[in-house]
Amino acid sequence: MPVCALNNMISVGLFTTAKLEQIEEIAEEYDYAYIKAALNFGFLTRKQYTSFLERSGFPLFDIRNEVIDETFVSECDLLHLNAFLYLPIRNDGKGNLIIAAADPLDEKLLGVLELKFATKVKLVAASDLDITWMVHKFRGEYYVKEAVFSLMRKDPESSGLITFTDAQLVVIFSLIALAFTMLTINFISVFIFINLVFSGIFLFAILFKLYIALKGSKYELLETVTKAEVKSIENDSLPVYTILLPVYKEDKLIRKLIWNLRSLDYPRGKLDVKLLIEEDDDKTLNAVRNLDFPANFETIVVPFHMPKTKPKACNYGLFFCKGKYLTIYDAEDVPDSDQLKKVVCLFRKLPKDYIVLQGALNYFNKNENVLTRMFTLEYSYWFDYMLPGLQSLDVPIPLGGTSNHFKLDKLKELGGWDPFNVTEDADLGVRVFEKRYKVGVVNSTTLEEANNEPFNWIRQRSRWIKGYMQTSLVHMRNPVKLVNKIGWRGFFGFNFFVGFTPITFLLYPVLLSFWVIYIIFSLDSVKVLFPDWVLYISIFNFIAGNTLMIYINMLAVFKRRYYELILFALLNPLYWLMHSIAAYKGLWQLIYKPFYWEKTNHGLTKVSHSAAAAANANAT
Amino acid sequence: MQLTNNQIRIISLLLVLHYIVLAWLFHRNGYEHTERLFYAEKLRLLFDYKENTLLTLGTTFPTTVFLINVLFSPFGYLFAPIASTIVIMSFLFYFMAIDIREAAIPGKTLFFCLLILFVLHPQFIFSAVSGRNIAAIMLGFYLLFRSLFSYYKSQTTYYLSLASIFLATLIFSEINFLWLVLSFLPFVVLVSLEGIKVAKDEPVVFQYYQALNNRSLRRKLVNRTVALYLVLYLLPLGAIYLFRTLNESHAGDPTYFLSSQYANWRVTGTASITKILEQGIEGNLMKQTQIVFPLFTIFLAPIFIAALAFFKGKMYELFTLLTPLIFFSIVLIDAQYYLTTEYFIIIIVMAFVALSFTAKSQLSNKITSLILLVATGLTIVGGVYYFKATSDFEEKDFYTVLTSPAEWIKPKKASEVKIVAEYISSVVSAKRPILIDDAAAYPIVAHLSSLEGLVMPMQKNFVTVIENPVLSVEFICVAKRVNRLHNFTALNAYNLNIMKERLELKPSRVFETENWIIYSIR
Repeated sequence: MPVCALNNMISVGLFTTAKLEQIEEIAEEYDYAYIKAALNFGFLTRKQYTSFLERSGFPLFDIRNEVIDETFVSECDLLHLNAFLYLPIRNDGKGNLIIAAADPLDEKLLGVLELKFATKVKLVAASDLDITWMVHKFRGEYYVKEAVFSLMRKDPESSGLITFTDAQLVVIFSLIALAFTMLTINFISVFIFINLVFSGIFLFAILFKLYIALKGSKYELLETVTKAEVKSIENDSLPVYTILLPVYKEDKLIRKLIWNLRSLDYPRGKLDVKLLIEEDDDKTLNAVRNLDFPANFETIVVPFHMPKTKPKACNYGLFFCKGKYLTIYDAEDVPDSDQLKKVVCLFRKLPKDYIVLQGALNYFNKNENVLTRMFTLEYSYWFDYMLPGLQSLDVPIPLGGTSNHFKLDKLKELGGWDPFNVTEDADLGVRVFEKRYKVGVVNSTTLEEANNEPFNWIRQRSRWIKGYMQTSLVHMRNPVKLVNKIGWRGFFGFNFFVGFTPITFLLYPVLLSFWVIYIIFSLDSVKVLFPDWVLYISIFNFIAGNTLMIYINMLAVFKRRYYELILFALLNPLYWLMHSIAAYKGLWQLIYKPFYWEKTNHGLTKVSHSAAAAANANAT
Repeated sequence: MQLTNNQIRIISLLLVLHYIVLAWLFHRNGYEHTERLFYAEKLRLLFDYKENTLLTLGTTFPTTVFLINVLFSPFGYLFAPIASTIVIMSFLFYFMAIDIREAAIPGKTLFFCLLILFVLHPQFIFSAVSGRNIAAIMLGFYLLFRSLFSYYKSQTTYYLSLASIFLATLIFSEINFLWLVLSFLPFVVLVSLEGIKVAKDEPVVFQYYQALNNRSLRRKLVNRTVALYLVLYLLPLGAIYLFRTLNESHAGDPTYFLSSQYANWRVTGTASITKILEQGIEGNLMKQTQIVFPLFTIFLAPIFIAALAFFKGKMYELFTLLTPLIFFSIVLIDAQYYLTTEYFIIIIVMAFVALSFTAKSQLSNKITSLILLVATGLTIVGGVYYFKATSDFEEKDFYTVLTSPAEWIKPKKASEVKIVAEYISSVVSAKRPILIDDAAAYPIVAHLSSLEGLVMPMQKNFVTVIENPVLSVEFICVAKRVNRLHNFTALNAYNLNIMKERLELKPSRVFETENWIIYSIR
């Protein structure tokens, strides 16, 4: 039996031997201190533990306000500090080195530290969260720099640090200059030409989407992993699974997060859950601290470094991951309980070149208002039809923001996420394809909170569209090279799906205004710009494009039986106008603030997942 | 042993040859359907004429058929409509033959029946060699119902989407099929009922009772029904809206594609009931009433009765098979035109949908085969009977040629319009122009060797010319009073008389046939 605080708790009846045995196993597997395993795997609440320490004569040191002698800290490796939860503070002037530890009664740790520092050590108690915060702040610099610059160093061509290359700027400005020159020379003909090109791109992009959606709808009922297969998996054979939870000021969602994690059908000891908190995010840290039930995640504090983006936090978290597989969830996500098992099963079934599996995303608050309904329709066709369609075409799949499951070693091989790309997931999907790996789609859904507030929605969407622009610019730096890497099919698939998406949204209001000006004002001067055949093509493209987009949205209701949403698909033209606003905002930000991460506020919904589930159950 | 894809492809190609030979025979006997000539003329205008190309291409209806004809225009404007229908028929045969392989009744016999019908049935032959839109209707119809049955089988939205696309194709082959929207209602509601999984083992009526008396289930039933409806109909309705807008912006009339004789053959080509009655031709027209007509179509296609006899499936599948009969009843509510071959032949097409997707026989293979063969034979007899008693003028002509094999080997006959066209070609030139209105004279224009020297309504100066033709043209092509289309054109006997009085015109007859007169006015 190890000598540690938990032992003492057993002796006073606050803990059980059985639990300690489980903790021992976990601690051994992960190479963690016992107390870390106990606090992060749902065995013990922080409040319970703190009160035990205080009663045992170990009041907590407020180490965040202590003077720290950094010479001692600099001798320590962050990974060890983080795993065993200690922080050297300073010499006490009596020959003792004061070290704050989450478990001041851990004799094994004491021995190791005395050996390491070759001096007498005095362990004092401190909050594990404060220790975590401090060690990452003091020793995280190397790792955070790696998180930011590693991809740029390893694979500069794939890094979004440079938004526009010189060549791209030359091409863009040349095109603009050419357009203006030609407009000056022959305004009408050039205007007609530009108008036709725009409306052609618009229709073609939508036709391509319809084609993919139809392809995807063929696989609507395909169960890549069946329930029987999930049932047949033995828990002992399951590998450690890492879940990254990047959060920022999500204090209100922490409790919910714990409940969602608890509902996952996966052995507790094999879930390596990392809550990634920014250094300046005391709100979330305190929410974790104040939990009155055991947490089932480990908190990692990401030291301050620009850009302050989710991919940077995830890259930082990668250094601490222990799993064979890894996935990302947002704080409010409610994954299907068997999702992780399905992924393990599917990875086992698929060829080795499949290194990412994307789960479907959908919303639990779909009926909250018009916006959430539209959002639900959009996500339904995207994840239920588009992604399987793209997979069947064998073209790059832009991954969704969460519920993408990776083979951890391959993710590291790819260099993780691009911290400068604000849709790092879409970018990573393309990079996976470039390296001749494959992305699969797993038949499991994660429910999220649909954005129910228009301005918040535009903020979120502007980031996504900006990210698509960034991704296009990064991968189209050398189109010939891209063709060589992903082939013509992949090239066209990538451009039509990723590149044309923002272009379509940018063009939509332009085409709409042409249309409105022509129809409403019917000016002779405008008619000059619309000779019969141009008008014919413009009308055709505009009406056909909108009808097809409405149609694609309508298809979305069938798989999930959201039939009540079908009429809302008719509002798609208005929904697209909101996309256009977001697209112009995204374009503006791409030029002025390319790495700025537009934070989406979560927790705005008044609908809880459980209430939605209950409503569904009643309905059925 | 089942036929392989390649074998079916080869048979489909042989079918093409068979139809080409038949088309040649009909052609040398002077049989030309006006719908074919209508498309041929539009193709000629599209490619050989500079003015109003967009109006011709963008508003000619039914669009699906015309656009397919455009693809075949390299074969010659006159042959393109026939070439396209022959190819469409062979495609239809191919799809039907492929599906037969999945049938739960003797496949070989069924395939043989299908082949016999395609080779010998007069309605199939008519569809292939007349250049009408029937082949496109049959293909659209078959693919639509094939998709619906595939949807029932797989329950994937993919097939529902395909059904929607094929429905749009069908409506754009024949606008009347828009009324399928109503005839779909029974099975759409039943499919929805099946989907909400209420009292599954109970009879349908009880399921309805349960669904309608429970608020949540009722809402689900309505939602699913509306959803199915919208997904099936959005594309066709969107396409019609688009087409109306395009017609409004380019022809100044949203229904131009339906109501203009320059855009739609149906306006001049279909035989109105009044006209038929005026001419005292009754025939099948008398069966064109509610209840009688659907029964008559079945009576002419016993293969459909056989398909129903072998039907083994769910209630909504049965209602799907009965869709055409409901559709007929809806169309007959306000039928002003005689319903021609396309309304009869879809019953046979539907029979094969039923045989391939829902038939299962409890009888021995031999007896099942015998029933199928007898039904096929009777269906061919029904086809012959249809043409024998048809009330449509051009179908009568077809039957006359079909039943006069002795005429087939006689010297080639030229049709009346071809004779007129040849005369015009021989006298008209850029310096000696002719005023001609293709609203009625499209068959003549289709046969002309060149469009040089023609003054037609699509030209900007047509109105000026018709006000005082002497100044601009040397000839006028006038439809005689006996011409069935004389009411559709400004250049008819009545207007000529007005012109004579108003302008003191002294036209001299230079060429005349049964329906047409060419006047020289200088």
